[in-house]
Amino acid sequence: MRLKSPPLTVATLVAACCVPVAVALGLLSGSSGWGWPAHDILWLIRVPRVLAAFGTGAALALAGALIQLVTRNPLSDPQVLGVTSGASVGAMLAMMLLPAGLRFGIELGAMAGALLSMTLVFTLAWRSMGRGLALSAQPGTVVVLLVGMMVSAACLSVVDFIVTVANDLQLRSIVFWLLGDLNGVTLWWPVWLATGAAFGLAWPRARELDWLARGDAWAWTIGVSVAHRRRMAILAACVATGAAVATAGSIGFVGLVAPHVVRLTGLRSARQLLPFSAIFGGVFLVLADTVARTVVAPTQLPVGVISAAVGVPLFLMLLLRRRA
Amino acid sequence: MTGEVSPALRLEGVSLRAGGSPHGRELCHALDLQASPGQRWVLLGPNGSGKSTLLMAIAGLVAPAQGRIVLGERALPNWRSEDLAKCRAWCPQFWLDPFPVSAWETVACAVLATQPDGEGAAVEQMARHWLGAFDAGHIADNDVRTLSGGERQRVALATAFAQATPLLLLDEPTSHLDWSHQGLLQRVLKQWSGEKGGIAMVAVHDLNLAWTLATHALLLDGKGGVTHGLRDQILTAEALALAYGVPVTIIEDGEARWFRVNLEKAP
Repeated sequence: MRLKSPPLTVATLVAACCVPVAVALGLLSGSSGWGWPAHDILWLIRVPRVLAAFGTGAALALAGALIQLVTRNPLSDPQVLGVTSGASVGAMLAMMLLPAGLRFGIELGAMAGALLSMTLVFTLAWRSMGRGLALSAQPGTVVVLLVGMMVSAACLSVVDFIVTVANDLQLRSIVFWLLGDLNGVTLWWPVWLATGAAFGLAWPRARELDWLARGDAWAWTIGVSVAHRRRMAILAACVATGAAVATAGSIGFVGLVAPHVVRLTGLRSARQLLPFSAIFGGVFLVLADTVARTVVAPTQLPVGVISAAVGVPLFLMLLLRRRA
Repeated sequence: MTGEVSPALRLEGVSLRAGGSPHGRELCHALDLQASPGQRWVLLGPNGSGKSTLLMAIAGLVAPAQGRIVLGERALPNWRSEDLAKCRAWCPQFWLDPFPVSAWETVACAVLATQPDGEGAAVEQMARHWLGAFDAGHIADNDVRTLSGGERQRVALATAFAQATPLLLLDEPTSHLDWSHQGLLQRVLKQWSGEKGGIAMVAVHDLNLAWTLATHALLLDGKGGVTHGLRDQILTAEALALAYGVPVTIIEDGEARWFRVNLEKAP
């Protein structure tokens, strides 16, 4: 099968057209129908919500692309590896235990939770690596996925525990973390900041991430400082995922789907994959949120429902095609 | 390239254990070896005798249990991996291609590794040149995941050569290759070592190919014993029969030797 790449200018133009269209659709649609909203609704509700949706989608997609490269597994994403659920636990614990007035307590809690669960996955799965290099060509790509699922299951049991002991008021916000919902989001910029930071961490040496995906040992022999590069990518992915979860709860499948769709268009190298995945993820989540708000209006669906409805069939399709 | 002359490779009292772990089976003990520019070494020995581990140790991936490996004037742990990448290329036995990528982009990785500031078109041209050298020019734009075993191996060989290093470590590079491509590899390798004065270390199982390819040979007997030297001294019927446990007959044809292995008499 021959591979072709689209010219970068065309890809950039398409992306530059998609973003304003998605944002316009997001701004003009509401639970009460289409049209230009009143001034206050626009600036206090719609704009922050669309920005938050875009930032969250971009963060998750960026994290997904990074995690896939680092685990060299096309089926991993923040949710599958338990990063999202770790972040949810962190956020919930921060919510329940930290004093209520603390600024960014939830954001930091989510990031810490993401980092902790990711570290756990990598230590458990790659414990046996000498010098941080896996010498065989198959460094437990399946093991990483399985360990991730176990960590995810463990986090969910913690979530269940918290749900059981929480009082009614806390329960309401906990359900929000579990479903993945952009309803009522006002603070949109932390996730943009985190995504920018993650992108800044990962992108300058993105080429080496491509090499890392072909095997640790080989990457090291062509001069990549494997352990360092991997740590940076994981840190970037955790910062992005943590911020996304703190903003909108646990939204699945954006991180899985976005890098694959971008790869299908022919943008394969990490240098192009990372920015275009982020843009695609942002556009995807803005559109998904628009659908979530309007499809059964006036009731608003959590955006996680829509992203899963698109993501699950796509994931299965990828999985089945791999087996064939 | 930094313009330095091909560095010699020296192993001083190197002991290796299986998997590079301190509790592994001993693969070789106190091995002393000197390889000079222009030499082509073949590594021979039964399965699990330590050919791959020795290559990985020379690549710097596995630390020897004892002794040291010196490339140029510096012992391996004192090299930075960026500099080492310009001095030796390692072609592993297995590859992993989790994501779609074209053959030439795979080769271009190795070119970019040694010429980080390489201009895009020049890098692509270099990659395509090496694919062409291994009769893989026609699959340069194909997805590596759809290639056959032999095609993928030729892409891997092109990658190793494209790194343009004076030391090449090839781990069973002919395991998937048909006869004509085995012939191609030994031609390219001989031309390369003759023109560039590089050192090649090649693990192989085919004795006839080993003889054709090599100037020197190293034989691991699988029990920790190692002999090495000029190919005429190492590739003898007795030593090979003892190491592999199968009867080997040598047919002398002037300067050349032909090896015949009687598989029916194998234990």
